[in-house]
Amino acid sequence: MDVVRVGILFSTQGAYGALGRDCRLGAELAVEHLQVEGKLPFKIEPVYGDPAGCADRYMTQARSMMLDNGCRHIFGTVTSQARKDVIPVIEKYDGQLWYVCPYEGFEANENVIYTGACPNQHLIPLFEVLLPRFGRRVYLAGANYVWGWEMNRLAREIVLEQGGTITGERCLPIDETDVSRIIADIENQRPSFVLNNLIGSASHAFLRGMRALADRDPSFHPSRCPVVSCDLTECELPEIGFGLADGHMAAASYFDSLADQDNLNFKSQVARKLGNDRRISSFFATSYATLCLFADAAARCGTDDPRAIRAALHARPHRTILGELKIDAATNHASLPFHLGRISGDGFQILQSRPALAADPYLTNRSNNAGQLPAKAKLRVVS
Amino acid sequence: MTTTPGFTGLRAVILHRANDDVQRLTRQLGVLGLDTHVQWQPLKTTATADLVLVDADAGWAGILPWERDKNPVPLIALLSSEAPGRVAWALDHGANALISKPVAASAVYPALVMAFRFHAQRLQIARELDEMRERLRLRPLVLAAVQALMQRFDLDEAAAYRQLRQQAMQSQLALEHVAADVLSLSASARAAK
Repeated sequence: MDVVRVGILFSTQGAYGALGRDCRLGAELAVEHLQVEGKLPFKIEPVYGDPAGCADRYMTQARSMMLDNGCRHIFGTVTSQARKDVIPVIEKYDGQLWYVCPYEGFEANENVIYTGACPNQHLIPLFEVLLPRFGRRVYLAGANYVWGWEMNRLAREIVLEQGGTITGERCLPIDETDVSRIIADIENQRPSFVLNNLIGSASHAFLRGMRALADRDPSFHPSRCPVVSCDLTECELPEIGFGLADGHMAAASYFDSLADQDNLNFKSQVARKLGNDRRISSFFATSYATLCLFADAAARCGTDDPRAIRAALHARPHRTILGELKIDAATNHASLPFHLGRISGDGFQILQSRPALAADPYLTNRSNNAGQLPAKAKLRVVS
Repeated sequence: MTTTPGFTGLRAVILHRANDDVQRLTRQLGVLGLDTHVQWQPLKTTATADLVLVDADAGWAGILPWERDKNPVPLIALLSSEAPGRVAWALDHGANALISKPVAASAVYPALVMAFRFHAQRLQIARELDEMRERLRLRPLVLAAVQALMQRFDLDEAAAYRQLRQQAMQSQLALEHVAADVLSLSASARAAK
């Protein structure tokens, strides 16, 4: 095995292009660093695909990576929709998909390695911090697809369980930028905080709208009514406008501002290539770490056979920029740390950190209510 | 639906020859928090199972320990055949959901959610139907009680019925129960005369 070809499949344009660009850049840089380091007994040759946010291109590009280019591993997709489109191709040719983004959970495919966080690693710890601190009147904003719907649904479940109320819920198309109705609704409802599951330009417009609202009415200042999310990172702050979202919060398994020596070293390595001004997002860092994870496993088992790679991954954790990455043999998900950050300028100030937590993609630790019928409204007796 | 359906700690029995599909199923059920037992011989009892998955391609009469579609636990059919007879076999044994073979990991959780929901619904409908049948059977009692009240208190039919209903609501009993009480009271009053 002299050369190992891997597919890198991210959309660098379109509504969520900033996320895709960071994922791709992280992977690119990891390949470069691994090559320079010279410890691998093989050369990694990336094959790039860029569906530019078009749903139907993911499947064809993934197929071409596997059939025409001999890739058995694809690192890619940002949205759950795209992941679900690529999985059948991966399964058909018995390859492996490496998914590096936070998502809504409820999946554990044998042919997918998940290094992005799922709700017990982002939303649940986030609400454990937010509900007691800011209050239990929660407003839900979401993108009109499975991420927004499912995150809002779970948030509603958690809030109601805690005796709180959902003051409103609205979903917008991914590329919608008219957020005036949501903002007006929030102004009316006066929630304790807002969960933002919008993505891309809708999310940016929304955060700018909340800033304008706070300027009009100080009770919506982020210190009193923060907007929180599980996928907002450094890479989107320039598109929102520096300073405009200051004070709002996000959960992530990595922030650029982590002050440990490993991260300082990593940042100076990245700076040599990309300059000092660039902040590193969890998308970038996770993609980087995931490529390293793959390279380490492939080097240990001397093949890129997905079965062997999985066995090697399950056998022992690998030290990465996200800490010790341990892939669970049952779920194929990574244990990940939880950090809560507050936006400040071009980065996040870290408010709280928790050590790596195993993923529970189906939330099996929450409840056992399999046979429960949905509650029916009680019939009122009329005489 | 606001509550996330969960299956932690439940026991599944798979009636199927051991193969890749069964392995994938067992793995996925494990991820969902279930304990799984695999066998390819008739299931004797459902006392040790909260869910049964059966090979509907090869299942035979007698592999499941219940009559027709009276399954006391949810049943999921595992099927690759499209033969109408096989689909009917699954339905006749009460299958509440279907997982096609080869098994895709992503098919398992939705099938469980559906199977448990439909099974619970079917039991509830059966209970309600029994109750309705019982009430229908006792309907003549209500008629007789209304007539008894009309006579005793010199009421018209509507007023007598209203009184019976009110009594039923106050005592939180079924109309038929109260009717039976009224009739036995009238009977003893007559006997006392």
